[in-house]
Amino acid sequence: MNSRVPQVDTGIGVSFTVSAVIHMAVFLLVAWWGQLFPLQMPIQETYYVDVVSLPVVSPQQGDAVQKNSESDATPAPVPVLPVPASAKNAPKSGTKTIKSVSPVESVETESAFAERLAKLEGKAEAQQYEERLKRLSSKKKNTGSTKAGIPSAAGTEAGSSYADFIKSRLEDALKLTSYYTTQKPEVAVRLTISAEGRLIRMKIERSSGDSAFELAVRRAIDLASEKFIAPPTRTTFENGFIFKPKGITNGTSR
Amino acid sequence: MAIILGAGIIVKLVLLLLLSFSVVSWGIILFKFFQVQRAKSESERFMDFFWKSKRFDAIASQVDRFANSPLTVLFNEGYSELKKVVESDGKSDGSALSTDLGGVENVSRALRRATNSEITRLEKYLTFLATTGSTSPFIGLFGTVWGIMTAFEGIGKTGSASLAVVAPGIAEALIATAIGLVAAIPAVMAYNHFQHKIRVLINEMDSFSTEFLNIVQRNIAGK
Repeated sequence: MNSRVPQVDTGIGVSFTVSAVIHMAVFLLVAWWGQLFPLQMPIQETYYVDVVSLPVVSPQQGDAVQKNSESDATPAPVPVLPVPASAKNAPKSGTKTIKSVSPVESVETESAFAERLAKLEGKAEAQQYEERLKRLSSKKKNTGSTKAGIPSAAGTEAGSSYADFIKSRLEDALKLTSYYTTQKPEVAVRLTISAEGRLIRMKIERSSGDSAFELAVRRAIDLASEKFIAPPTRTTFENGFIFKPKGITNGTSR
Repeated sequence: MAIILGAGIIVKLVLLLLLSFSVVSWGIILFKFFQVQRAKSESERFMDFFWKSKRFDAIASQVDRFANSPLTVLFNEGYSELKKVVESDGKSDGSALSTDLGGVENVSRALRRATNSEITRLEKYLTFLATTGSTSPFIGLFGTVWGIMTAFEGIGKTGSASLAVVAPGIAEALIATAIGLVAAIPAVMAYNHFQHKIRVLINEMDSFSTEFLNIVQRNIAGK
């Protein structure tokens, strides 16, 4: 039998190599194209201002430490309401007194008037300063006595301050809704926040059985969820919070 | 790219399998393309040469020039069988008629065998193209179904059915079907193309066999 010896297909190896190279090239082209025209918009670095503990905190860097020395003493996220209100009021009252005084003392010489004005302004300023000092010292006392409301973040882990941001929002809301009938009510809640900053899941994991407080917590979460922002990591955020009438503590995050 | 890297392990495996299918089938497509192209062009040249030549031994000495044509294989087989028949005919002193018929039948059998082996050679690897064409969409579909299953699992965990939560998982899953189709479509097209080309070559081989046998029979009968 001199039938043809089945010849080795010499070309097939070359063909496979060429095919692999073509696939690689197409893959790289697609990758390059994707880089050239990215589908999604570039993620912008988000800064959010925690009105309680100014100045700006950048959660991306895990930097929860304030730069201002004055606010250093008050890291506690206590509701803001009285702070800006009184600060605004103080100069207003100062001008009021001036206005009320000036028509009466119209006979006075200009220099005397200026003197009085300076005196009054100095008085108002001093009063304001004293007020502020008092407020700060009382806050310091508060934070010293109870641990409630102090951010537990060490400031090293990126995004840790986001949990504190959420906690702060929740605490603000809880102050408005807090209501309970038993002695030591406690509710552990696990919250899931989507990458866009919406509350997508809320699960009550544990409750002391005080239904009034439970309802208050639910309402607080509802209220606070309107103020949630997108997590800086742009991923789903999940964390447990333990609600007590005195404040909220971080549960375990998953 | 992120869409691929973000997919689950099963989807990634499916994608890898489909990619290897695609690489191999394109390798086969390239190889077959050149093989069939050469076979076709050299067969045409060989047929020209064959009809211009007067003698088989002259053709046999030149046949290596058309080594890629299946017709030269047929010619070589038929010619060597014919030589054997003629040699044995010269040795034996039996009746001419029986040897003549037997000789033609021997050559015919040799040609048929060579045709079969050539068909086998030409159709080699084509089954892989057929397999790729028919199975890779299903493999891709499997990846998609699996991906969507895991996506729904995730939706169940987060408890939200908003489009923002559902869409990325499903997009990840659908890429498996897309790659499956990308692998399958060229494979099916190439398979049909080569089937047609090979059928043409088989027809050429059949007609060459009959021509060859005709010439042999004429010459033996003319002796």
